[in-house]
Amino acid sequence: MNIFISGGCKNGKSFFAQQKAREQAELLGRPLYYLATMIPVDEEDQSRISRHVEERAGWGFRTVEQGRNILGALERTDPGGVFLLDSVTALLSNEMFDEKGNVDLTAPERLKNDLAEFAERTGNTIFVSDFIYGDAMGYEALTERYRAGLALCDRTLAKVCQQVIEVSYGSLNYFKRQDEQ
Amino acid sequence: MNVVFGGAYQGKLDYAKEQFHTREVFVCSDDLAELDFSKDTIYRLEDFVLACVKEGKEAADYLRDHRRQLQGKTVICTDISQGIVPMEAEMRALREMTGRAMLYLTKEAESVTRVFCGLGQKIK
Repeated sequence: MNIFISGGCKNGKSFFAQQKAREQAELLGRPLYYLATMIPVDEEDQSRISRHVEERAGWGFRTVEQGRNILGALERTDPGGVFLLDSVTALLSNEMFDEKGNVDLTAPERLKNDLAEFAERTGNTIFVSDFIYGDAMGYEALTERYRAGLALCDRTLAKVCQQVIEVSYGSLNYFKRQDEQ
Repeated sequence: MNVVFGGAYQGKLDYAKEQFHTREVFVCSDDLAELDFSKDTIYRLEDFVLACVKEGKEAADYLRDHRRQLQGKTVICTDISQGIVPMEAEMRALREMTGRAMLYLTKEAESVTRVFCGLGQKIK
């Protein structure tokens, strides 16, 4: 089953998503993959990644580095496996902004389609995104393009996934819940 | 009255169109502290509230004074209550005044729906 999870930052989404992914892999007897989407640019990123790697140790994940072109991950994995994609937020950021400061405004539309295809081809992916839409003031134009772009990806995934869950500090709010398969 | 709210870019208007069979939409503007009640749907209420902030009038009072005209309408507002407290005084006032306006509307409304990533959740 494809599951879409969102919610505020640092509130337990990733941990919950890991549990969901492992449960599904055990239930189906399939390989379990972690799609690592962050491309580290400094020490802060590096230490965040180390912390996440430590947290996942012993969970049985095979880590696949895929900061861009998410469909490329399917060439190196068994598409019948269970995937944890954490996060849509990082993927869009990598696709939209590169290290040299170039901006690709077509990225949201492309990523939206790639994510829908990823969900369709695997059938068992847990997508994690961040809810960044509750501020009072607008941001500068480029940040607004990014927010609108991420919302486009989120809405697309919410439509195609069988479950849509908002996580807030361990409390779960189901916006869509189809029977467990 | 039906109230629809949710974060920015969540598909609130599309949701309202589908659920409440919207025909005509009045899009609020931050330089007009009035609503057009000839339309069945009022969209971007937060911009109307910003116009009220600029004019120094209380949006909730205006809505209360026009409660008869609000009957049967769909009112859509962006949830701007989260995130960081804005630096700018006007934006802080907007956030607070929008909260008061929404508390009034949700109390009066027959239905209140929160839209999250295009999906609605009825909370009243």
